[in-house]
Amino acid sequence: MKKARSIKKPGVKIDMTPLVDVIMLLLTFFMLTATFKAEMSENIEVKLPQSVNTDSTKLPEKDVMTLTLTPKGDIYVDVDNFKVRKAVFGNEFGIGVYHPDSTGTVKTEYEQTGKIAGKDVKRKVMVLNKEQFEKTLSDLRLQLKNMTEGKSDFKIVLKGDKDADFGTVEDLMSSLKTTKNTRFSLVTDYRAEKPAGQ
Amino acid sequence: MAGGDFDSGGGNDRFKKKKYNKGKKVGVRIDMTPMVDVIMLLLTFFMLTTTLATPQVMQINLPKGDEQDKVKVDMGNVLYIRVSDKGNIYFSNGLSTGTEAAPENVAFENLRAKLESLYAKNNNLLMLLKFDRHMKYTVMVDILDEINKAKIERRYSFMKMEEVDTELVKKAGG
Repeated sequence: MKKARSIKKPGVKIDMTPLVDVIMLLLTFFMLTATFKAEMSENIEVKLPQSVNTDSTKLPEKDVMTLTLTPKGDIYVDVDNFKVRKAVFGNEFGIGVYHPDSTGTVKTEYEQTGKIAGKDVKRKVMVLNKEQFEKTLSDLRLQLKNMTEGKSDFKIVLKGDKDADFGTVEDLMSSLKTTKNTRFSLVTDYRAEKPAGQ
Repeated sequence: MAGGDFDSGGGNDRFKKKKYNKGKKVGVRIDMTPMVDVIMLLLTFFMLTTTLATPQVMQINLPKGDEQDKVKVDMGNVLYIRVSDKGNIYFSNGLSTGTEAAPENVAFENLRAKLESLYAKNNNLLMLLKFDRHMKYTVMVDILDEINKAKIERRYSFMKMEEVDTELVKKAGG
């Protein structure tokens, strides 16, 4: 009689405690590792080249000046400090674009279609020519130095698309050199030791 | 009357027993389902918004001086690395006489081994990189990566690919 009763008991109770424990751990892990991007300061998407990179330096977290190269050969200049953006571009979400073409006849993708890398723009885009671009590079750094009383400085990172022409990089490097920005980094995706070509 | 029951503990035996049982029940079951639901939602949210693969960087240092500042180097230490618009790599060693050897095509797979052997022969090796403007940016990163892997510390510099170089590369096979 006792046995029969225990089998017949309908409400099956599952102990959820271990499940909750595991989920809590996962949750904590993701909460701690998560990094957020504000939608407005969203990065321009490019396909980064890959490297094995033996010196294993990571992307700096703040005070970064990002120069993005799209496959079409436009260079976007952006910083992660909205006060500096406000001061230099006149808008918290400003971004500069420059096409390094010696003749100046080639228009940037933004001027042609109003889009960046095929996406609609939410940010205020400033089209720059060579002089303005070089001035902007200096201005951005100067502005941050003034705001922080010289304590911090932008680290320049170059996010180039795989399919961008080297010519653009060459022009950009000469611009960086004339503005005395001789230290910069190339952003790459991590690749395991053997290159894809082998 | 009910309150009195509680305080005094007197009264009907049967009634008292029932009350007592109810109050002493120990195993409190909390329904965890809503909590699990919420946590699951949070977990999903963080899993989807998180970016785990943080990109890495490659440090590049350009020379500080002006174009006019000429640095004299022994041509014997120089290795020209020219890359055509198609991404073909050509090595040519500089000669102490001031000229350079004929360009030699090097497959990307052999690039590192070749660099290592040249570096082992000459520790003062200086690589001058001349990349065609129409070459893809990824080729540049690949080549710099190979140089880094060959453990040749920052012994390269970028040079403009002149008309002459383009001709040279074209003659060697483009």
